[in-house]
Amino acid sequence: MRLELGNIFIKDVQFGDSTKVEGGVLYINKDEMLKEIGGDEHIKSIDIDITRPGDEVRITPVKDVIEPRVKVEGSGAIFPGTVNKVTTVGSGRTHALKNVAVVTAGRIVGFQEGIIDMSGPGAEYTPFSELNNVVVVADVVDGLKQHAHEEAVRMVGFKAAAYLGEAGREVTPDEVKVYETEPLLDSVKKYPDLPKVGYVYMLQTQGLLHDTYVYGVDAKKIVPTIIYPTEVMDGAIVSGNCVSACDKNPTYVHMNNPIIEDLYEKHGKELNFVGVIITNENVYLADKMRSSDWSAKLAGFLGLDGAIVSQEGFGNPDTDLIMNCVKVENEGIKTVIVTDEYAGRDGASQSLADADPKADAVVTNGNANEVIVLPPMKKIIGSTDYVDTIAGGFAGSLREDGSIEVEIQAITASTNEVGFVKLSSKGF
Amino acid sequence: MKAVVITNNLKVKQKYDKEYDVEFVDGSLLDVLITVRDRIHEGHKLLTHPLTGSVKPNETPYKSVLISCDKGDLDLDSLLMISSNIETAQKFINIKKPIEWKEKILADFMEIDLDLINSGIESMQQ
Repeated sequence: MRLELGNIFIKDVQFGDSTKVEGGVLYINKDEMLKEIGGDEHIKSIDIDITRPGDEVRITPVKDVIEPRVKVEGSGAIFPGTVNKVTTVGSGRTHALKNVAVVTAGRIVGFQEGIIDMSGPGAEYTPFSELNNVVVVADVVDGLKQHAHEEAVRMVGFKAAAYLGEAGREVTPDEVKVYETEPLLDSVKKYPDLPKVGYVYMLQTQGLLHDTYVYGVDAKKIVPTIIYPTEVMDGAIVSGNCVSACDKNPTYVHMNNPIIEDLYEKHGKELNFVGVIITNENVYLADKMRSSDWSAKLAGFLGLDGAIVSQEGFGNPDTDLIMNCVKVENEGIKTVIVTDEYAGRDGASQSLADADPKADAVVTNGNANEVIVLPPMKKIIGSTDYVDTIAGGFAGSLREDGSIEVEIQAITASTNEVGFVKLSSKGF
Repeated sequence: MKAVVITNNLKVKQKYDKEYDVEFVDGSLLDVLITVRDRIHEGHKLLTHPLTGSVKPNETPYKSVLISCDKGDLDLDSLLMISSNIETAQKFINIKKPIEWKEKILADFMEIDLDLINSGIESMQQ
């Protein structure tokens, strides 16, 4: 499967008379966009705001972040099985509006979390502070149940990203990157001397605000399977919104998964990137056993020499992570696991809820218990009514001057477990 | 399959009381985990992971866990898991005590916990 990804670098986003990309600027006809993304009987009203890097703006509570993309050649359309037909994607050509994101914000449950600060110290912890964000805040009808609320907000986000992506359809991209995964036997034949490496891509799947969808299917109901990495770039995997901001993958992160990007970068040079195994993280222990057995079985079937295993979320996924690691290792395949830590505010406590001696190669994306003070911002998009109840925030965390003392777990993607983060460490 | 639901969440009790053996714990999240540990010592097995969800043990006051109805020899895997999960929960509670939430937020926490255990029960019924 071969995908050309045409990147259109956007310098600015402004409201205008029509929705188009011109001179590197994305203009949005707000009325038209509202009409396109509205219409759900559960939605009472929608507002759209624009914020740019460096603005004294706080977006909270963030539910999802999505990159505008459009398929211009090849089968299917962006976000298959959700806002478009379920046709297989991942081949042909896709255009992406870079430096832009749709951010959905607003309350679904009372203790929501998820902060994106566009400037100040908080901005240093979220990669989304570097984007021109089109923030969509949807209010729902009174009395709507949480499940229907979550679904309505989720769909508005995808519709918004698909709508803005259309503006890039006829634009000549600034750069075109080509990603190709050949059939397994061809790939092995082509690179006989390179180690065969695969990616075990764990998807959070436990319930309301802990879910992920693959081609529209609730991923807790799948058994592990193989997916082409380019399918993921076309929005085949999407987030079901979040209740854990720091380490739930927003849809944007699935579309731009850095593990997939890096494996492609090394493909044909240092290693042979043969494919991706997607698996889930269910609460029922027999599901965990079955899924980890199947992930390992598929890794063996692919004849992998090495595998990267990434986690999503806190607590019980630690168990899936270790099960996947141990069982893949037992197939004779070397593994590296990718995670984050809850190691206490001083970083001295046990980081994960599970462990095994076979998990001897670990990449961490930071300690989510670390505390930060976020200064007041001139403008809040979303709501601060619930900041006291943000994960990691404690009573009184919202100070009178508008500053907030929180653990970094309240910041969107601060410790993202596929490495879509700003935190890093350097050796000297 | 027969199972016991150990919970301190009234919404879970109300939903599953007729279908399952529900042991309602009138106490904290930690009390639920300790009750689960006691049942494991009596020979029950864990059926769902005790650290369901990303809502941290010092944020949500509610927890529901599914264990086997049948009793047998002590299941060491279950014991190791619940013991390590109790340690994790205590770590969070030591960092920051759970705060007293408003009723609306408590209702949301109940709904999340209910949904997490629903997904476990749905898996079991398949």
